[in-house]
Amino acid sequence: MVSAGQMVNRLTPVLRRLKFLPLVGFVALAGCASNAPQDTWAPEGPNAQMIDDLQKPIFAVAGIVGLIVFGAIAFAMYKFRDRGQPIPEQTHGKPVLEITLTIIPALILTVIGVFTVRTVFDLAKTSDTEMVINVTGQQWWWEYDYPVQEELGITKPIITSGQLVFPVGTKVMLRQTSRDVIHSYWIPKLNGKRDAVPGRVHLNRLEADQPGIYAGQCTEFCGLSHANMRMEAVALSKEDFAKWVDQQLADYQAPAEGTLAKEGETVFLNQCVRCHQVNGLKRADGTPAIAAPDENVVSGAAPNLSKLMTRNTFAGAMFDLVTPECRADVWDASRETFGEKYLAGVSEECLNQTDLRSWLRNAPEMKPMYANPALLTSTGGKYRGMPYLALSENDIEKLVAYLLTLK
Amino acid sequence: MFTTSSKFYVALTVLAAVSFGVYMILIGPSSIGATALFGMIAVGILFIWLSLHTRDADTDDEFASGAAADAPSRSMWPLVGAAGALLTLIGTLTTPLFFILGLIVVVATFVEWGIQAWADRASSDPAYNAAVRAKILHPIEFPVIAAIGLGVIIISFAEIMLAVERSAGAVLFIIVSSWVLAAGVVVAIKPNMRRGIITVIVVVGSLAIVAGGLLGNASGMREELVKAAEEDHFMHRECGPEKDKYTDKLALESVSSRSAVVATVEFIDGKLVAREQGVPGERETITIPRSNPSSIIFRNKTEGEFRLLAVTGKTMVSEGVYEVDEHCTQLIPAGAEQLLTLTMAKPTLEGGEFYLEVPGVEGQRVELVVP
Ligand code: HEC
Ligand SMILES: [Cu+2]
Repeated sequence: MVSAGQMVNRLTPVLRRLKFLPLVGFVALAGCASNAPQDTWAPEGPNAQMIDDLQKPIFAVAGIVGLIVFGAIAFAMYKFRDRGQPIPEQTHGKPVLEITLTIIPALILTVIGVFTVRTVFDLAKTSDTEMVINVTGQQWWWEYDYPVQEELGITKPIITSGQLVFPVGTKVMLRQTSRDVIHSYWIPKLNGKRDAVPGRVHLNRLEADQPGIYAGQCTEFCGLSHANMRMEAVALSKEDFAKWVDQQLADYQAPAEGTLAKEGETVFLNQCVRCHQVNGLKRADGTPAIAAPDENVVSGAAPNLSKLMTRNTFAGAMFDLVTPECRADVWDASRETFGEKYLAGVSEECLNQTDLRSWLRNAPEMKPMYANPALLTSTGGKYRGMPYLALSENDIEKLVAYLLTLK
Repeated sequence: MFTTSSKFYVALTVLAAVSFGVYMILIGPSSIGATALFGMIAVGILFIWLSLHTRDADTDDEFASGAAADAPSRSMWPLVGAAGALLTLIGTLTTPLFFILGLIVVVATFVEWGIQAWADRASSDPAYNAAVRAKILHPIEFPVIAAIGLGVIIISFAEIMLAVERSAGAVLFIIVSSWVLAAGVVVAIKPNMRRGIITVIVVVGSLAIVAGGLLGNASGMREELVKAAEEDHFMHRECGPEKDKYTDKLALESVSSRSAVVATVEFIDGKLVAREQGVPGERETITIPRSNPSSIIFRNKTEGEFRLLAVTGKTMVSEGVYEVDEHCTQLIPAGAEQLLTLTMAKPTLEGGEFYLEVPGVEGQRVELVVP
């Protein structure tokens, strides 16, 4: 008979050895997450599909090789464990074995290499492009501009940020670059990643099979808020995309005289226009208000806010512009209703007042941005990101009313 | 009194002095000739003094080592040196290649012969002398001989590849490289193999390749290469109108597109034709991304000299006085091209103010827009 005390004594070393088990468990569980918008194993477009078709077999091969190697190691460790036996006779080299063990991996890698190179070239194809979007990264948000393309109804250039909107089933060429440091654009469900490098244009391809929002984030460390530099690619059906284009090209609607929003417009002209462009906005003297981010921001750009309320995230897609309920309504919408819900934009009821107000109150507190002018000697007094503007609550009230009209 | 070598230098100096006189009187003073001949006189005098002073560097007989008295070892170098000299001479008459080859041979002769002679006098033990020579010359000889040997093999192999058909070439390459690999594997597996066998393998293999090369050279290049060579240069197909299988790949990913080219604007027979990367067809409007340095390639394909001008709005210089913002390329002749790089920080709000044109040409405008 073994007493309970002896039992515990015997088990303790075993349990101690297993202390890493929970960690392994967590990692395994993480693999089962159902809400995984950046899952590299769930392609939703032809380019990601090509990558997936390559990576799954390779993963299988690597897995089998890994199992064999680990099995062999485990076997050797067990079979030849130290039991006090004398050290066996030492020999040097076994040419036949060594050559075999070189040739087999070489063959496996050759096969993998052939398929990989082919996929790389297929992915780099650009000759059948159907649409072009310029993608520009800067600390710490993405800007998208759509060159004039009459065939797609884009008769004037469109500019937006945070959410890249594009039609499904269309081969979109992204012309990527950066205004400051190297960033990297990656929507895992749609394609692999590609760096955005200052002074160079790198081409990337985006194509989605179904309408929906596809998430990603900057994948090249780019400074303080790198982790907060996200992006969302919004695929709309071709009809919905045409509506979106019309929405973006619509003329500026000045708020009616005497409203809170009109007062907000004045505050905006005083406080915000030096960085943010709102197309069609005019100063009191009737001249167009043209922003000068090149004089105020290190990267030379700040988001164009003309159609702010047609996107539902802001500040590098870090915050939602809509409340959680309204967000779920759009994100979880069926394929058929998604487009309509997205195009509805942000209504007053849906607006995420809390985050937007906090942003206007003190942006650097919401998102680390080196925006303190006292620390800006190296940037010649230009801001990196949006600074603290010391606005009164009254002004914030007016500004929110004004921003809500920017649709 | 006069030592052997000093006599030589006396003769040389006298000759130089006479030449100097003749030159100055008959040909007329030129600073280069005078300096050269006068320098020769000066050097001659210096050497006369040196050889007299050191008595030709000859040791007194009683101190000379026994080895020095021996006859020098047999040497092929005088012969080789003479051949080299002949080659340089032929080279001056025919092609510079021979001259250079001859020069190399002559220099090699000097190095080899000089060191050989020096080593022969190192001691009275020939084995030791040979070792001394080897120690100095092998680090030079081995790499040089290896390079020459490899060069011969490579050129021979190239000759073979140029002679045989394209597909046969690929097969041949695979066969030869497999044999090389196989030989390497054999040597690796059996490091203790007799040296003789390895030597035989290497020599036979090399000879086979060299023989193949000679044969290939004799039978001439394969037809398609001959034809290509006749048509001026091998690259011509890359620049023809049709797509080249090898060089026209991924045109949009080439250096020019990477360096931020947004558009190509051509001035063809008096017409401005604009194209934008990724957008099919001719464009009437080009979109320049905001605050990104963006390049426009301008090609002039019209007789005469033209430039591309970009007008990007106007700036107020003083109250109510505006100046048009202009950026342009240089004036370029037909066939030339230039790059115009624009960085536009401000958006174009109402169209028509920003445009590209060729000064002096009416009615040809390409609109520029900045989002
Ligand atoms: C010194 C320049 C500057 C000024 C002044 C400024 N901003 Fe910003 N703003 C920025 C920059 C830069 C960002 C992008 C920050 C990021 O996402 O990391 C930004 C982002 C925003 C965004 C999010 C936009 C989006 O699409 O992601 C809003 C909304 C905004 N600012 C509103 C305002 C308002 C309202 C004012 C005036 C009270 C203002 N800003 C003044 C520079 C400025
Ligand atoms: Cu980044």
